[in-house]
This record gives sequence, structure tokens and C-alpha cells, in this order.
Amino acid sequence: MADTILVVVEQREGKLNRVSWETLTGAQAIAAETGWPLEAAVVGSGVGDVANEVAAKRVAKVYNLESPKLEPYTPDGFVAALKGFIEQKQPKLVLMPHTYQVRDFAPKLATALNRALISDAIGYKYEGGKLLFTRQMFQGKFVADVSLTGDSPYFATFQSGAYRGDKVEDGSAPASVETVNVAIADGVIRNKPEAPFKEAKQAVDLTQAEIIVSVGRGIKEQKNIELAQQLAAALGGEIAASRPICDSGWLPMDRQVGSSGQTVAPKLYLALGISGAIQHVVGMKGSRSIIAINKDSEAPIFEIADIAVVGNLFDIVPPLIEEVKRAKGA
Amino acid sequence: MEADVVIVGGGPAGMACALRLSQLIDEHNAKRPDSPLSKDGIYVLEKAREAGAHCLSGALLDPRSMLELLPDFENEAPLEAAVVKEAVYYLTRTGKFKLPITPPPLRDHGNYVISINRFVKWLASKVEAAGITIFTGFAGSELLFEKGRVLGVRTDDKGVDKNGEQKSNFEPGYDLQAKVVILAEGSRGSLTKQLIGRFQLDHERNPQTYGIGVKELWELPPGRFAAGEVIYTMGYPLSFHEYGGAWIYGSKENLVSLGFVTGLDYPDPRIDPQHVLQEFKKHPFIAKLLEGGKMIRYGAKSLPYGGWWCIPPVAGDGWMILGDSAGFLNSQRLKGIHLAIKSGMLAAETTYEAMAKDDFSLDILEKFQERVEKSWIKEELWPVRNFHQGFDKGFLSGMLHAGIQQATGGRGLHERYGNHAGHLRMKQLSQLPADGGAEAHIINAAKGDGKLTFDKLTDVYYSGTKHEEDQPAHLVIHDTNICNERCVREFGNPCKNFCPANVYEMVEAADTSSGLQIHLNASNCVHCKTCDIMDPYEIITWVPPEGGGGPNYEGM
Repeated sequence: MADTILVVVEQREGKLNRVSWETLTGAQAIAAETGWPLEAAVVGSGVGDVANEVAAKRVAKVYNLESPKLEPYTPDGFVAALKGFIEQKQPKLVLMPHTYQVRDFAPKLATALNRALISDAIGYKYEGGKLLFTRQMFQGKFVADVSLTGDSPYFATFQSGAYRGDKVEDGSAPASVETVNVAIADGVIRNKPEAPFKEAKQAVDLTQAEIIVSVGRGIKEQKNIELAQQLAAALGGEIAASRPICDSGWLPMDRQVGSSGQTVAPKLYLALGISGAIQHVVGMKGSRSIIAINKDSEAPIFEIADIAVVGNLFDIVPPLIEEVKRAKGA
Repeated sequence: MEADVVIVGGGPAGMACALRLSQLIDEHNAKRPDSPLSKDGIYVLEKAREAGAHCLSGALLDPRSMLELLPDFENEAPLEAAVVKEAVYYLTRTGKFKLPITPPPLRDHGNYVISINRFVKWLASKVEAAGITIFTGFAGSELLFEKGRVLGVRTDDKGVDKNGEQKSNFEPGYDLQAKVVILAEGSRGSLTKQLIGRFQLDHERNPQTYGIGVKELWELPPGRFAAGEVIYTMGYPLSFHEYGGAWIYGSKENLVSLGFVTGLDYPDPRIDPQHVLQEFKKHPFIAKLLEGGKMIRYGAKSLPYGGWWCIPPVAGDGWMILGDSAGFLNSQRLKGIHLAIKSGMLAAETTYEAMAKDDFSLDILEKFQERVEKSWIKEELWPVRNFHQGFDKGFLSGMLHAGIQQATGGRGLHERYGNHAGHLRMKQLSQLPADGGAEAHIINAAKGDGKLTFDKLTDVYYSGTKHEEDQPAHLVIHDTNICNERCVREFGNPCKNFCPANVYEMVEAADTSSGLQIHLNASNCVHCKTCDIMDPYEIITWVPPEGGGGPNYEGM
């Protein structure tokens, strides 16, 4: 399999990651220019459908690397499967999309084969029989053409958006799909993945909240946030905070209101223990009604508050929660 | 990555250096088309998102060096106004005395009021047009050494979180290997500090002394203060224990730059330079001037005014130091921009010589030192070499020494006056009056009325400063136990006072004996470096944050 390009497409739970089409488009362009045959590989368990989907594109052949041990994804499993396969087939060039999954296993794969990896390329050049990959430097201010040295197989990944996935060319007839049953010995896979989760739900959109209960340093301790949360729940509103609270990690950053956080304009903004520094005020002064509770009667928040309550929030908030609940229950 | 020349810092010195070097290369290439020199390997690193965004000064420009660099610059550069009128006042608590004649060093006819931000932005556009690459948003975070030689600069890592872990957008810093690294970082440069420490460049030098300039830009009712009008004040709100004074410069479109420089060698750790500026504005003379006006921008920056005896060697194996990083500032005239530019030009001439000969050895680079000593930089700084040190024992003896020095060509009573590093003059709370004594009105945080005076956090808002929040603190405190257990008793945590940007705070804590612990709001930092200079235990190190972060001194 000399001078072959192998594209490793990405699948998750049996579904092709569309960014694979972009890499395939790039690979088709390289194949057209160099004359090197283009093949593709899918790695997983029961991913024959993905292999067939890829076989409809203009590729010479698709390999379906199968093993029950390849589901769910583990870096150890993928590296074991691909290492054996690549050692045996010896393609000249292995291309992958620069996804989180590839970033996870590709360095390990390249290292296991003692080969270099050119990551996050935005394009390629083929000059005088030499293949160069283009990478960004200094956050895109410069681009560098990186050449391959040493022995093949060479590894490279393409940045998302480097090529257009909708430009991937179909084949005149489906390519043949060869299923390769991969043997992965016991003990090779040391990773035990948990179920995938999304890191926090997408940033809370405080701008859509009609009622916001916001806490500042006057809340004193992290455990007191609970009190404000109860009030927000009773009112059916969202909880937010000024910078010191989020800076301390008592609430996530996406709950921060102010110049370095979100700008909000709810119907009601209840400021608990917020002094009202300009950095906070610029993020909430458009609120229709502002109620501020603060024990410092000179706190600047009172200059923009519609209702100013001078007092200890720990005396005021608990009965307020009860009152809100009673009023809502009535 | 390989480079020929890396200039760290795109202020007046760095930009002038790049521009002069480009001119010399152009001349060379016109004369010697057979052996052309390339500008491709010349880079300027600038930590601000945009050139000029971290530049802060009064500013008055003495045009001397610019006329050498670009003889026609007056027709092209953004100059706000030519100086038309100047006055020096001595202020008492409510009164003022105008000096009958303006002392010669403060005569400013022929100088220009500029916005250094706009001026540097313009210089940057000239540098880029000349074909030299400016990397904005990239800080020099480390020098690369090989034995006694500087080999290059490492830029800052991008995408590191609060705990030092790599984020998904992590991008490691680049190693720029350079034939010469030119440090033009401004006052108290962080790489310059590394270099001085490593090679003990302060050996047999006086310790550098600094001031902190706190500035507000105001828009005044039309007709109140003429463009090109200049006022300096001495005296109130400072007492005889402190060094410093104010400036007021009239700019065009009714803008006025005013600010107060407080010497970073004051004894009372409770003094707050931002508070000093607020008190200054409350003086009837100033309050009347500002009445009905609006504060539109704020900033703060340290400046080195130790003078000639504090300047380290400025050239060595693989490196040169320019401008404020070296200490090229005339403290008697309160001017340094023209010297920074001149030093950049001289460094460019030396660098060009090295490029033309393809010889970057120590012998060639050290010629920069010679060039400085033969230039009018030394001519200007030598007669005032003892000026600031004369004030080491306070204002009155300082004025006396200044007079004697004036009469003796700068020598004064000693050939070389000594001085102490400013932070060593700070006294412990137990040695000071509890009520603040003569400094009672300028200690601790200013309150601010929201019209004439402002609390610090409000002022900081007007600096436009911004940093990626999720990154390691770029103010490294080497031992916070000292803050929480010792400093709290001995000096009362002066960091919270001398920092003009509310970076340092003491918050309640259960597990310290003082009941307080230090808390950093690093994202408020305006890059003035005062903490690195003035902390009495020398345990704070300012390092560059992720490039792009910092103040936005648009129009300042």
C-alpha cells in the first residue's frame, strides 16, 4: 500500500462526525494533485453503516476496523486498533479531522509509531514532489509551511473549517468496504470512560430572565448563596452575582452581571449585599425595577435603586421568602 | 522560530528603534543592491491588543529626537497642541503661589502636548508600513539564555486557566531566537528585571527610584483651559515628607490631561496615590478649573526618575535596553519620551551596523553604550545626575540641593549623590501617628463624590482595563503568609493603598491570626508595576498576563 492516503473518519455512537467530510475533501484534493490513492478507515464497534456512508464518496476503499472493545471510545483502544492496522498497511499519509477525540488519541498514536504529527493544519501545498502542510502561528498573524521529514507514515490533522464538507466528491460507484476485525488483547485498554456529559449546560442566558436575584459580597459565605437561591426559586427568577462571588467560584462565571459579565435588563432586579460599583451597575442599570438590600446606607447601589432597603439581608430575606411563597400560594 | 532582531515593547522607544532600523536598511539597500538586508526577521512584541493601548504619559513631547527621526513629523504626527503658556504654582491647603518666573527646566515653549496613545499608534502605522511585523497581543514572558548570552525571547502561553491547567484553546508561547533582543518594555520592565538580576547590572549603580503617575483625562466646558496651556504644581496635597507634583496640560477639543506623580519613596504606607490625585482636585484652584467638567479616562503608570546614576549598562551580549526600561528620563524636566525615542534610534544604528557586518558579537553591540554616552542623551542627563537624589531627605533639602547643583553644573555638594531604593524608606505603622498626622487627608482609600472625585474602583472602570478572567494571577506573591501574618501588623498592607487599580484587597479569613487574608483582583491591573517596585518585602513579582489583556488608554 505504498503512497496511499488514509483518512481516519470520526464516529461517535455510530454516527459520522460531519467534520470528517471536510478532511475527506482535503484528502481528495491531495489525492488529485499527487495521484496517490485515497482510502478511508472507520474505527468502532458495529459501525458498518458509517463505513458504507463513506464508501459512497470518491475513495478507493474503506476499512471498517471493528471490535466490541472499541465501543465506547477509549484512547488506548483506538491507538491499539489503528497502530496495528497502520503498521500492516503502511500508508504514506494518515489524515484526520482536528477534533477533540483526535486530539486525545492522535499524539499517542504518532508517538507509538515513532512518527511526527502535524496538527491543526489549515491547508496543504504540493511543491516539487514535496508535500507541505500550512499551520497558523501567532494566532493567525503568520502561517508556516511545515514539511515532513523522516519515514512515512506521516500524520496530519486538518482544522475544522479548513475545507468545505459539502464539497466532498461522490464516487461513480460505491467503494468496496473491507471489515477488519481487530484483536485487542485484555489489559490493553486501561481507560474506563464514564458516560459523556456536557460541561455545565450552555451558558445561562440571564438576558431572558424576567426576575433576577443577584448577590454580592454582603452574602459573606458560600453557604449563604442557598438563601438567595431559595428567594430566586420562590420568585421564579434566576440567580446572578457580582464579580467577587463568581471570582471566588461560589457561582459559575456565566452568572456574573457587569462589565466583565452579562448585561441584563429584567423586570425586577433584586440586589442582595451588592455595593454597586460602576463595573456592576453598567450591567444591570437598564432593569425596570431595582430593589437593593444593603446594610451600608451609603452604598452606591442605592443611587439607582427604585426601592432601597437599608438592613441586614440575613434578617430580611428569610421572611421575604415566606411572604413570597404565601402570596403565590394565595 | 528564528529572528534577527526582537524588540520587546512597542512604545516610543521600541517603535523609534524599529523605524530607524528600517530607514537604515532602506538606505543600505538603495546603496548596495548587490547585498541587500532583509526586514523579515525584525519583530516587535507588544502585549497590548493594539499598539499604544498600554502607553500612558502626561504627555509633553520635546521634539528634538523626532526631528532627527522624521524631520517632517510636525506636519504628519497627531500633535494635540503646541505649548503656548506655562506656569508653576506652589499649593498650600487652600492657597496658591505662582512662581514669578518659570524655572528654566520647566519652560516648555517649542514642546507639544500629545496623547501618547495616539502618537504611538501613529508611529506603529509607520513601522508596519515600513514592512516590520508588530505582534500585538504577545508579551515577552521570559528571556532565553545560553551562559552569558541572551539568545531570544519566549512569548506568553495562551489558554492557561486559573490553576495553571491547559484550556482547550491552549497555545504554548513561541521561542523567538534572536541575534539581538532589544528591551523597550517601559518602566520596570519584567524582562529587564530578569536581565538585571541575572547579570547583576545594578552593581555599583544607585538603586532606581520611581514615581507613580495617576492621570485623569477631563472634558471641560469650552474656553476654560486653552489648548497648549501647561501648569505644574508642587506642594499640597503632599507634605514635606513626600516627593511629587501635578501637571495640567490643555489639549484640543476642551480636553485636559491632569495627573499627579507621587514619588514611590514616601514613608507612610497608608498613602494612596490615587487618593492624592483626588485630594489635589479638591483644592479650590483645581476644583474651580474642573467644575462642570467630566472625567472621561483614567490611568496610572510608574516612571523611573533616579537619573544617570541609576541607569544600568544598556548593552551586552545579545541585548540592549532602551527608554524607561533603562531609566532614560529627565526628572528635572519631567520628560522622557524624547530620550526614549533617541535611545531607540541609537540602538537601531548599532543593530544596523551588526546586520551590515553580519556580526552580532558583544564588541559590536556594546557600541550602543558608547553611542549613548556620546549623544545628547548624556549631555542632557549629566547636569541633572544628582537632582532626584537631592530629595532623598525630603522636599526642603531637595530644593536646596537643586539650587546648589544648578550653580555647580549638576555636581552639588558631592560628585555623586547616593540614594536608597524607595521601598526601604517606608516606615512601620508603629512609628507613625495613628491619625495620619500631616498625611491624614491622603491615606487609605478615597471616597469620591462621583463628580469631582472618584473612588478607586470607579476610576479603574475608566481605564478600560480587561483581562481574560480564567488565567493564573499575573501578580505573583512569593509568600502570602507575610501578607496575612506580618505585613498586616507592620505596614498595614500598603499594597491595597499604592495599587491604583484595586488589585490588592484584604478580605476576612477564618484561618489567619490577623483574621485577614490577601485577595487579588488581577483582572483590574493597569500594568503600572507599582507593586513590583513599592512592596516593602519585595515579594511581589509582576509578570505579563496573557497577551492582549490590560488597560485601554485610547486617547490618553
